[in-house]
Amino acid sequence: MGTFLVFLAGMLFMAAIFFIKPRAKQKEIWKTVLNWVLFVVWYAITWMGISFIYINASVGHVKATSTAIFLFLGISVVLGFILARLLGFIKVKKVSDSATSQL
Amino acid sequence: MDNKEQKQTYKINRRGFLKVGAAATAMGVMGALKASTKVANAANETLNYVPGEKGQWSKLHPNPDYSGAAVRYVEHNDEWLGTTRIVGKIKNVSEADMGFNLAARGLLGEEAQKEVLRFVSKYPLSAALSKVLSAIAPDSAVEGKPAEKKLPIPDPEQMSKHIKDVAYFLRADEVGIGKMPPYAYYSHRATVGRDLMASLPVESWTVPVEERLPYVIVVMVDQHLETTLASTGYDGISSAQSFRGYHATGNIATILAQYIRNLGYNARAHHARNYAAVMPPVIIAAGLGELSRTGDSTIHPRLGFRHKVAAVTTDLPLVPDKPIDFGLQDFCRVCRKCAENCPAGAISFDDDYVEYNGYLRWNSDFRKCAVFRTTNKEGSSCGRCMKVCPWNSKEDSWFHLAGTWIGSRGEMSSQLLKSIDDMFGYGTETIEKYKWWLEWPELY
Repeated sequence: MGTFLVFLAGMLFMAAIFFIKPRAKQKEIWKTVLNWVLFVVWYAITWMGISFIYINASVGHVKATSTAIFLFLGISVVLGFILARLLGFIKVKKVSDSATSQL
Repeated sequence: MDNKEQKQTYKINRRGFLKVGAAATAMGVMGALKASTKVANAANETLNYVPGEKGQWSKLHPNPDYSGAAVRYVEHNDEWLGTTRIVGKIKNVSEADMGFNLAARGLLGEEAQKEVLRFVSKYPLSAALSKVLSAIAPDSAVEGKPAEKKLPIPDPEQMSKHIKDVAYFLRADEVGIGKMPPYAYYSHRATVGRDLMASLPVESWTVPVEERLPYVIVVMVDQHLETTLASTGYDGISSAQSFRGYHATGNIATILAQYIRNLGYNARAHHARNYAAVMPPVIIAAGLGELSRTGDSTIHPRLGFRHKVAAVTTDLPLVPDKPIDFGLQDFCRVCRKCAENCPAGAISFDDDYVEYNGYLRWNSDFRKCAVFRTTNKEGSSCGRCMKVCPWNSKEDSWFHLAGTWIGSRGEMSSQLLKSIDDMFGYGTETIEKYKWWLEWPELY
């Protein structure tokens, strides 16, 4: 199972790189770098969490498993949301425009 | 003309003389080196032994297993034993004054005196282990005369590797070789069972220990990970865990000592049913641990407290290992998890050491520990400190390797490791799925 998870992590890493490549490149270099760094950090934390939870759950460390679910996956969701926002997967409607048009 | 030529032939200038001298010296050194290798190889050829690589721990375990801990080596000297500071003359202590013997002599109360005779035997599995271990208790099993003719052996470095491999072959989990500290020997050792200690004067059942051999081989066996994970640390299986280690190491040490005597050298085994030496100082001397907050127990960087040892003192030519420093003194200073969880309240919460018999250690009370272990009504003996200590190895994983590395890097990182250990509930949990043993509360 461990070997399969390592294989899966590698495949998904490559797939994700190809998937976000067109959106990661920005006009400013620092924004491009920020996107890639955030992606690598998010990916590493997510898989560290999955590995940590998997091993602790299989041994039977109940508190470690439940704590890790909140800790690692919580960080993963927050970072994932920020990354999705920066890459443009999530767009925010401009409320002020619609408000102006009603006047 | 001939005479002139002859004179030129014998003439040599200063530079030439120095060149010839340097070349002759180099050839001499190389020859000497080759000759010593040939001598060693000659012994190896008759033994059909291929020497291990230089710096290798042993052939079966090329590197010692310290888990992820950052380990530094400490030189042997008179002011320190590993990381334990020696501040005065360390007196050899009598076996009559160790905790369980004080209980047997009635010096720790009536209940402890009564229960010390049955605290191991009241649990059927530890009783079985203890009884079988008693078979190698007599002096005739642990000591004896060496063979009259010495057999050829490799040089001390190769012989040290070989002795470690013998221990691994005999199923030791860890093994180390130390310079035997003279103060590690008991001044006197007990010669009777605990049932007779109270009724006879101490002088009548103790004999002086006169042996002084230069080296000590220490073998260590794990007390079992899954059992520790499932136990409270002071339930029925506790003493059986101890005797699993005592039985295994006792047999290994007894066989090893006999093997060395068969080679023609002096050797004496020390195990739980026949000691002539105290184990913590020899563990430190052999590079298998540091003295912990408990005051008289050592912690190994991989196994923590979860081990038992036996030893062999010998004059077999060996190269001793160096004591180790993996940051335990800083760790124990900030952790205190054993003190917080000790059911006997025997372990100190102090920041600093106290002077005790010529060395510095934390001021823990082995008498309280002995009383609780003998009179425990919830099980047989106790190993709660062993159970909760963050240094006890857990399952193999990258995060536990990282944890031991963090724990060996000073006080701040030790505090971090302790906090992480608490946050994830390690040490204080009991994992029911591994609870394989039976409990008989009516026997406790």
